[in-house]
Amino acid sequence: MPMVEVLNLEKDYGKVKALKGISFYINEGEIFGLIGPNGAGKSTTLKILSTLLRPTAGEAKIAGYDVVKDADKVRALISYLPEEAGAYKNLTGYEYLQFMARLYAKDRKKAEEMLELGVKLSGLGERLRDKVSTYSKGMTRKLLLARALMVEPKLAILDEPASGLDIINAYTIRQTIKRFAREKGITFLVSSHNMLEVEFLCDRVALINKGMIVETGTPRELKEKYDAENLEEVFMRTVGAKISEPVGGEGS
Amino acid sequence: MSDFWVLVIKELKDLLRDKGLIFGIIIVPLIIYPALGQMMQVGFEQAQGETKVVLVNLDEGQYGELLIKALETAPNVTLTKIDALSIDDALEKAQEKDYNMIVIIPENFSKAIESNQKAMVEVYGIIKGISGGMREAVSEGRINAILTVISEYIAKLKIEQNMEGDPDAILKPIDAKSFTVIKGRVVAVPPSLVANLVAAQSISMPLVIFIMIMLVSQMSAGSMAMEKENKTLETLLTLPVKRITIVAGKMVGTAAIGIIAAIAYMVGMRNYLGSIMSSSGEIGISLEDLGLTVTPQGAALFVLIMFLAMVFALSFAMLLAVFAEDTKSANTVVSAGIMPLAFPTFILMFADLETLPVAIKYLLLAIPFSHPILASRAMLMGEYSTMYVSVLYLGVISTLTLFVTARFFTTEKILTAKISWGRRKKAE
Ligand SMILES: Nc1ncnc2c1ncn2[C@@H]1O[C@H](COP(=O)(O)OP(=O)(O)OP(=O)(O)O)[C@@H](O)[C@H]1O
Ligand SMILES: [Mg+2]
Repeated sequence: MPMVEVLNLEKDYGKVKALKGISFYINEGEIFGLIGPNGAGKSTTLKILSTLLRPTAGEAKIAGYDVVKDADKVRALISYLPEEAGAYKNLTGYEYLQFMARLYAKDRKKAEEMLELGVKLSGLGERLRDKVSTYSKGMTRKLLLARALMVEPKLAILDEPASGLDIINAYTIRQTIKRFAREKGITFLVSSHNMLEVEFLCDRVALINKGMIVETGTPRELKEKYDAENLEEVFMRTVGAKISEPVGGEGS
Repeated sequence: MSDFWVLVIKELKDLLRDKGLIFGIIIVPLIIYPALGQMMQVGFEQAQGETKVVLVNLDEGQYGELLIKALETAPNVTLTKIDALSIDDALEKAQEKDYNMIVIIPENFSKAIESNQKAMVEVYGIIKGISGGMREAVSEGRINAILTVISEYIAKLKIEQNMEGDPDAILKPIDAKSFTVIKGRVVAVPPSLVANLVAAQSISMPLVIFIMIMLVSQMSAGSMAMEKENKTLETLLTLPVKRITIVAGKMVGTAAIGIIAAIAYMVGMRNYLGSIMSSSGEIGISLEDLGLTVTPQGAALFVLIMFLAMVFALSFAMLLAVFAEDTKSANTVVSAGIMPLAFPTFILMFADLETLPVAIKYLLLAIPFSHPILASRAMLMGEYSTMYVSVLYLGVISTLTLFVTARFFTTEKILTAKISWGRRKKAE
């Protein structure tokens, strides 16, 4: 049984049709990338899988549990990192991780272990003793990523995990994700704009555009199929984007 | 530790470390109100100071002298006799000496009294600067009191000289002795005094309840909105914690702070009221003297009613906060939603529910926040049956609101519902 099964998922926000019936699956221990341009529906898909939004039609299952009907069961398996997120400003980074560990862990010992892992993953060192309100954007992101990973969920849903991180931190987090998938068998669903990141990180990807999945496969398969050198080219061709002249640029 | 307590503790930490919040809800009431009271007291004391009277006596008879004697022996009055030719002259001299009252006994004062005509005394109060005349008002009251005594004394003298019988009875043929029947008992206290006593109770109680409700609502809505503003809500809602636990944790956490704040207000307010009360004199009877005691049953019912009203306020405020995007609009929404419900209860400060028109009476009864105020009186009066009705009504309406709020938290409305001010659009 795949870890994630999505079938003909649709989502309307009032008149806006964000998802027009998408289907995909993710195997256990796989790192799956959802890639697409702005407004394609990546975040919407991830929010539905995280039980935050209800699909208008279609269904989504995580480890066999329906995200709507068995939302409580699903929440016990996942850990979600929103695209734009913050932490409680008046808590210290350490207290934030502690708060989260206590809610996820079944017992004291497990909570301590999670917290210890979180402290290590965050890489914030002494700064964990400071209030979150004093953190830079990237530091907050690292704290939140540590939070999402330290609980060692069955499925980690990360919406643009490396956004706002510098090259070194982005590299480190990719390594961590890979290690967690290999060593702990954690399944990952990540969304991204960064094709290099996706190519390096993901076992399989789905290209999404205007609420529809246009292509799925391993990065290698896709590159071969489209005879492209990298995923960026694949992406351009599948989306059929005609690159518009830069406004005010030389060509105008 | 259960999830619930983890959430409550997080809420407390997050709120208690907010310096602005702590300053606004705890420090300010603890300092501002007593300071205000102190200022009022200083004003009172000044007004209560010596009455300095300049007296101009143009009369030559015995009654003028009698009046002067009375004024001289009266407490808190110092008298200075001066010679003046006219009022203007007297005014000038009084101002020179910084006196604030002038009493003028006119030329034919004694003659008028002797011939059974009305005699006049002129009393002038000189109001200076920004004191607002409080001192002069007190002084005038003192002088008038002396004049009344003298007046009565002279009247009695005249009666004694011309008639037989008790001069007191002739001067004031009818007297009233007032009683109050309260809880079926007759007490020898005028109803006006009882009313004053109960009024002190029934004004401070609604005020405290109002402050408590507003604070607690603002805080729970604010903390909800803060989750949205700081983008922590989405994460919170994906945690393996029941939504009702999240709602309850937030309610209890904010209520705890709200109650601390309310206590700060009450302490501050008490100091403030206390310093006013002590200077304006006590009534001299207590609620216990009237047989108005609070039984354990009454107290328990009252606490229960307060609790239910709080649950309603909290869950209603959270429900409103669902529609707010940030803390600022949360404040607006709560003020718009809770204020109208809290304000009518002020009517109950001054009016008796039973004497109001039927429509208004039931309207007030429908508002949950009326019940704690009614209960505070029913508790004293021992009318427990109405308190049980309140418990029943509040129980139903609080549960209902809590249920609706929890429902909203299980849907995506909490993330997508919003009111944008000015132009209303519905986004789902
Ligand atoms: N709360 C909302 N109300 C109305 N429309 C929304 C809402 N959220 C998203 N949409 C719309 O749904 C579509 C998909 O949005 P989504 O956020 O899923 O895109 P995305 O792929 O994550 O884009 P990005 O790369 O910019 O993050 C967009 O057209 C967007 O305008
Ligand atoms: Mg997005």
